[in-house]
Amino acid sequence: MVVQASKQKAKTLKKPAKDVVLEWFKTKQWDPFPFQKKTWSAHAKGESGLIHAPTGTGKTYAAWAGPLIEWMDELGKKPMPRRPPELRVLWITPLRALVKDTTHSLRTLVEDLQLPWSVEERTGDTTGSIKAKQRKRFPSCLVTTPESLSLLLSYPETKEAFSNLQTVVVDEWHELLSTKRGVQTELGLARLRLWNPKLKTWGLSATLGNLDIAQASLLGTNQPGKLINGDLKKKFEVEVLIPKNMEKFPWAGHLGGKMVEEVAQQIEGAGTTLVFTNVRSQTEFWFHALQGIRPKWKDEIGIHHGSIDRKERKQVEDRLREGSIRAVVCTSSLDLGVDFSPVDQVIQIGGPKGVARLLQRAGRCGHQPGAVSRVICVPTHAMEMVEYAAAREAINERRIEARDPLRSPLDLLAQHLITLALGGGFFSKDAIKEVRTAWSYRDITEEEWGWVLDFIIRGGDTLRAYDQFKRVVVNKIGLHTVESRIISRFHRMSIGTITSDPAIEVKFSTGRRLGTVEESFISKIKPGSNFYFGGKLLALKRVRDLTALVTLAKRGKGTIPVWGGGKSPLSSELAMGVRQKLEAAGKDIFKEKEMRALRPSLELQTVSSTLPKMNELLIERTDTREGVCWFVYPFAGRLAHEGLASLISYRMTRLEPMTLSLSFNDYGFHLCSTSTKEFNESDWRNLLSPEGVVDELLECMNLSEMDKRQFREVARVAGLIFQGYPGARKSNRQVQASGGLFFDVFSKYDPNNLLLTQSRREVLDRQLEVNRMVSTLKRISGQKIVRESPSRLSPFGFPLWAESLRSQVSSESWSDRVKRMSQQLEKSA
Amino acid sequence: MNESLTIDWQGESLQLLADRAVFWAKEKTIYIADTHFGKAATFRKVGIPVSEHTTMEDCQRLSKLIDDTRAEKLVFLGDFLHARAGRSQPVRNLLFNWRDQYQELSIDLVRGNHDLQSGDPWPELGITCLPDPTPSKKNTWELRHLPPDEDVERPFLAGHLHPGYRLHGKGRDSLRCPCWVVSEKRIILPAFGSFTGLKNIKHEMDDTIFLTNGREIQELG
Repeated sequence: MVVQASKQKAKTLKKPAKDVVLEWFKTKQWDPFPFQKKTWSAHAKGESGLIHAPTGTGKTYAAWAGPLIEWMDELGKKPMPRRPPELRVLWITPLRALVKDTTHSLRTLVEDLQLPWSVEERTGDTTGSIKAKQRKRFPSCLVTTPESLSLLLSYPETKEAFSNLQTVVVDEWHELLSTKRGVQTELGLARLRLWNPKLKTWGLSATLGNLDIAQASLLGTNQPGKLINGDLKKKFEVEVLIPKNMEKFPWAGHLGGKMVEEVAQQIEGAGTTLVFTNVRSQTEFWFHALQGIRPKWKDEIGIHHGSIDRKERKQVEDRLREGSIRAVVCTSSLDLGVDFSPVDQVIQIGGPKGVARLLQRAGRCGHQPGAVSRVICVPTHAMEMVEYAAAREAINERRIEARDPLRSPLDLLAQHLITLALGGGFFSKDAIKEVRTAWSYRDITEEEWGWVLDFIIRGGDTLRAYDQFKRVVVNKIGLHTVESRIISRFHRMSIGTITSDPAIEVKFSTGRRLGTVEESFISKIKPGSNFYFGGKLLALKRVRDLTALVTLAKRGKGTIPVWGGGKSPLSSELAMGVRQKLEAAGKDIFKEKEMRALRPSLELQTVSSTLPKMNELLIERTDTREGVCWFVYPFAGRLAHEGLASLISYRMTRLEPMTLSLSFNDYGFHLCSTSTKEFNESDWRNLLSPEGVVDELLECMNLSEMDKRQFREVARVAGLIFQGYPGARKSNRQVQASGGLFFDVFSKYDPNNLLLTQSRREVLDRQLEVNRMVSTLKRISGQKIVRESPSRLSPFGFPLWAESLRSQVSSESWSDRVKRMSQQLEKSA
Repeated sequence: MNESLTIDWQGESLQLLADRAVFWAKEKTIYIADTHFGKAATFRKVGIPVSEHTTMEDCQRLSKLIDDTRAEKLVFLGDFLHARAGRSQPVRNLLFNWRDQYQELSIDLVRGNHDLQSGDPWPELGITCLPDPTPSKKNTWELRHLPPDEDVERPFLAGHLHPGYRLHGKGRDSLRCPCWVVSEKRIILPAFGSFTGLKNIKHEMDDTIFLTNGREIQELG
């Protein structure tokens, strides 16, 4: 759609451009914030930068008015053109769902100002004909995603079409940062800056613990920038619904449906509520629980999470936008977006796990300038009350987690270089310079570079013998291009980094798609049995290929699906806050009402064991029927604890042969053994030594299985797995292979493949948080070890002991493993 | 020799060979399903780098099976070639070289869905191509590629499914391996090709599942 400013004769601007914008603010009865004005003048000076502020404080207009003012200034007294100017602004947003809202709000300003600018969207959903039309003449502002930008870069014509581009705005940069999509954006920006060294880049971000790095990674290594603080001391309130019956409240780990009535009452008292949970299965659980006690809400509340089909999710989003829905139970799938829609109240179920996350969620309401963003927290177990108290303090002091950019992901580099080869070709010497201006690749070595080139030209070490492999060809003068049309087509179809897990699609027989569940879940449901999905009670008819056909179940109960992954660990910042709160409680200081409510339980911990101080590590030993139980509380989050539990038990088995079972949560871990060996202070010091962690982890954890799963993503990004679109043409089936298969083949015949190294690094960094493990062990080496022997399980220890998820450390042969697992299978059946 | 496991089936004694094959000792016949030769070459055509190492390995595995069992007959239960695009020179050379070493061996192929698309193997390989289903020697059972949807009267051996089974232990412990699915009327063979994937199957009441890691066989349950 083209916005035509005026049908009358050509007009001219009567006022300086900045005043035009200021007047518009006046008509809205707003006063521009200093940070908005600051951004405009920085933009006018040709500067780039990062604006950080909580959601809903006017970052969009801060970034959007700059380019408009610039254009009006250029226009001066000349008559206003009728035709929209050619592409001047590229607006990149992380979510497709945000594109529409963003386009809408950007348009509002140009329409109100009667400027002849066109604002259009371009995503994977945009039809081919519109895309073709855009390629002939781009709109003045294009709203798009990182993937679509990459795709544009794969066409040689794009350079010419982008020759007028002045500004790139990257929205929600904190979401992209530290993901491969963020790196993809960095690479795209590096190219745009090569074309126009004067290009201005503006990022919009929530507040982060490492804004300098966030800015550097956005602007690259050769562009200075301005950090603009838009945090207007916005007020946040963290309120906690304290359970009436604290004594009976579980200490940790239990699904807390006890508070449903209180939550329902909160929803009744407000207009529109977002109810956030931490994982998808909890979303299903709470949606069902709320409907159970308020049957009349059948059509008044919605459910939203990442496994629900996009169409179904969009319906909920639309109703939210219209304000025609009472509440939506959701996961982080609604952390972002629909900013312009009315949300009156935010409820957080369960621990916040991170300060930034709670802040983001709280920011979904209270958008009017000066309004308070309030989040009501509903604990599902007692320790979460400490988390809330700690989070509130961290929010007030703006102690927020850092997010680190990724370091040279080679899978993505391979993808990007093919994109460049398609988009007009490249010379190695120039391309490495260009790529090194992207922050994530600033330190890429000549070796890594050479390997990636070889990988895309010859297919790597093992493929030298096959001359028919020519993904990228190099001509006499060293220009790298793609010649094969099939390869071009396949590459364009697989640009991107989002890896969809192999999942079972849930469908009605009418063909209506509901979403996806995991194979391991559906394989346990018998045809005819019920399960909950997307807020509906469904009866399974049958599973065929990758589809589960279902009908609506009339009555009865159902199982709630469990999706793997997604459970984020307690962040370091919050964990530190929790430790501080516990230390205070140990000194009899109970400032917050949550801590006061928790006082009896905390005193019980003091009586049976102790509350650890900041400079102490608590280790408990309790003898139970199962054997000797060790409880260690480093407060380092569940991922690091899983690794630490494996590591420590491995080290124990080397001191004395024994079999250990283990469990972990966000606060600590538990090891249980039938051996009665006692460990003294110096034994523990050795067990908890930070030396040799990675090497020992490689020995004691089944890392190859984890690598294999992680390799799926690497293989997809590097273009080995052709993901295609849902419902893609069948002809692509013949080039389908799983990431695990590539992993096996490469491990066997091409062990020096750097993609294998990368996948290992991703496992260590993301799945095990090895850095956090090491820094925790280093911290512990400076702490006092406090050993207690409670005669009965302490309140801290009980949930760990009760945790059903346990694994064992031992070394067995393949057939012993099969025997053991199939026995466990029988027991659970 | 790799571990093998003998089962009594339809009054005959069949050996499951850990390297994903079935041997009928009485008739000196080896059954193999889903080799998918030329799959790597098909991938290379679209710019996905995979070498022919898997084809070389598969030829060596075939040789070893024949040497160990002294089989005289080899039956492929479909999907011998992966795709027309995979009928490439490197694949052809490897298969021809292999065939030269076993000139006496009689080879049949029950055409599978992939064979229909990619065409019959090169005639020089001397492989007799047969329709699906085809009766075995003395009509003891039927040889198929696609396991039929409905119950059929005649017992059969088939491929196509690439059956695999995932076992879950405590915590993150899990294991996935190829398997045979054996019931009174049917045997589904695991896919033989090294560059083929697995499809998880369910453990149905009447089925016995035999897992393999290529060296050993273990019955499930």
